[in-house]
Amino acid sequence: MKADRHIMGLFKSEDQVVAAISGLKNSPYTFRRVNSPFPSPKIMAALKLKKSPVGWFTLAGGMIGFLAGFSLAIYSTIQWHLVVGGKPVVGLIPFVIVGFEAAIAFSVFGNVIGLLIMARLPSDRWLKYYDPRCSGEYFGVLASCEMDQIDGLQDFFRQQGGEVKVFN
Amino acid sequence: MAQLTYAQIDQSILDSLSPPKKGYWSVVAGLLLGVLVGAACWVYQIFVGIGTGGQNNPVAWGTYRINFVFWVGIAYSGTLVSATLHLLRAGWRNPIARAAETMTVFAVCIAGLFALVQLGRVWQVYYLIPIPTQRMLWPNFISPSMFDVIAVSTYLAVSSLFWYTGLLPDLAAVRDRTTGRRHEIFRLLSMGWTGAHEQWRHYTRGYLFFAALATPLVISAHSVVSWDFSLGVVPGWHTTILAPYFVAGAIHSGLAMVVTLMIPLRRIFNYQKIITLEVLENIAKTIVLTGLIVGFAYGSEYFIAWYSHDIVEMETFRWFAMGQYRWEFYIMALGNSLFPMLFVFRKIRRSITLLFIICLLVNLGMWFERFVIIVGGVAHGFSPYAWGLYAPTLIEYGIMLGSFCLFFFLFLLFVKHLPSVSMTEMKETLIQGAVNHES
Repeated sequence: MKADRHIMGLFKSEDQVVAAISGLKNSPYTFRRVNSPFPSPKIMAALKLKKSPVGWFTLAGGMIGFLAGFSLAIYSTIQWHLVVGGKPVVGLIPFVIVGFEAAIAFSVFGNVIGLLIMARLPSDRWLKYYDPRCSGEYFGVLASCEMDQIDGLQDFFRQQGGEVKVFN
Repeated sequence: MAQLTYAQIDQSILDSLSPPKKGYWSVVAGLLLGVLVGAACWVYQIFVGIGTGGQNNPVAWGTYRINFVFWVGIAYSGTLVSATLHLLRAGWRNPIARAAETMTVFAVCIAGLFALVQLGRVWQVYYLIPIPTQRMLWPNFISPSMFDVIAVSTYLAVSSLFWYTGLLPDLAAVRDRTTGRRHEIFRLLSMGWTGAHEQWRHYTRGYLFFAALATPLVISAHSVVSWDFSLGVVPGWHTTILAPYFVAGAIHSGLAMVVTLMIPLRRIFNYQKIITLEVLENIAKTIVLTGLIVGFAYGSEYFIAWYSHDIVEMETFRWFAMGQYRWEFYIMALGNSLFPMLFVFRKIRRSITLLFIICLLVNLGMWFERFVIIVGGVAHGFSPYAWGLYAPTLIEYGIMLGSFCLFFFLFLLFVKHLPSVSMTEMKETLIQGAVNHES
């Protein structure tokens, strides 16, 4: 049977959340996610999360930016055909500054785009199984179960010391 | 901070967003009036011409450039405080980071406005933008002015995104505690943030990269501003020390501005338990360090002028200290190097009144530092025939008044409509504090 009921356990401490996560692993219930008011290193460690790939977007942005900045400076200079003071038209050293600034700008754009794509934002779908207390003083552990396991999952969260919220 | 709970942090910060009283609106109205005075002066200058300002030969850059550098300096330190201290895991940064980042965004906008004011014919700003046109004229990227355009616009984009990214979890927290139209606005602004572990996984990584990128950007961007001067063959300007000197000065002035903003903020919103005396004390200690660096830079300039045996350099620096602008020089030297040293005394840096007064003096000193560099260098250059003095006109004072009013006007609007302290980071500080306490 398909898991079709979502239940959230609301806890006041990180340690309770860590215990609930490890308890869920050895249970018939399906762990969905944790909502927390701040990034908790304890919870992150308990979830054994992989490193985020956002950095690849940042790196790609930086490389594109450096090339774009450098190319723009070179292109705009070679449009000016009059050599002044015998200096080279394409002055590589000053263009490093333009390339550097553009590299930083595009790295940050890449970083933001990567963050939005990976975190799937903006989207209201995150709000579907969510309790507003999770942005305040509670940590929410969301799990799903089959219809006949609802009571069991609620009891599990209560045993871990949490409050329970059942979603329709 | 250890005695606070998550709920108390939320409550005290969300209380600051409660509907403001009449006193708040009257201050906002007063500041708006100042902004309008500044705007009127600028409009007058656009119609009459740039000559309404006091800039003339030999001082072609007056208060517009001074204010540009001043506001850029204030702006750069905000992100540096937030980003660098984030990388260094300095927990005392958390209560002040949001205000510092906000200060950055507003200050860099105002700096950008001065760049436009200084143009005179402001509608010709498109000459600075690299766009293909029928004129076949492209900006010259060998010019330090173009470095400025690239650096400042990059900085504006990066600092705004850094600020907004940091704000995202708090916007969600406000969304969850409001109703009606405010809830709808914050729902849109928070973009569906729920603090899910997958969101935090990417967010923390992204934020770390933000901080890692913002730090070299700040250093490079303020170095670029210093090259506006040091690449010019003008006595007092043409020196390699100007870049680190400007960066240190920017951090110095920004830290002082953070204290100037934080002290009234903690008083008005009862943030004493959040922005503790220890946090202000740590800023004061950092001001001692930056004050020493700035003082060392001042000393180095005199040493190099003497050591070079260049008579023009020697005369320029003699004139700075003993010429017509000597009072500006003394305000600069005392305000930036001597008064901040008083913070080595614990009693002084723990006195809110003295902290506030000394930080105001640092702000004043930093403004006059820019005056001495920008005006002093060209006023007393190579050729005695071309020496001349400069004094701002009423129009310049009006625009300057407008800029300060605009900064405080925007900041006042911000503190009443968005969380002025990061709730998320304060909760992290609480956890770090508890862990440290246990260990």
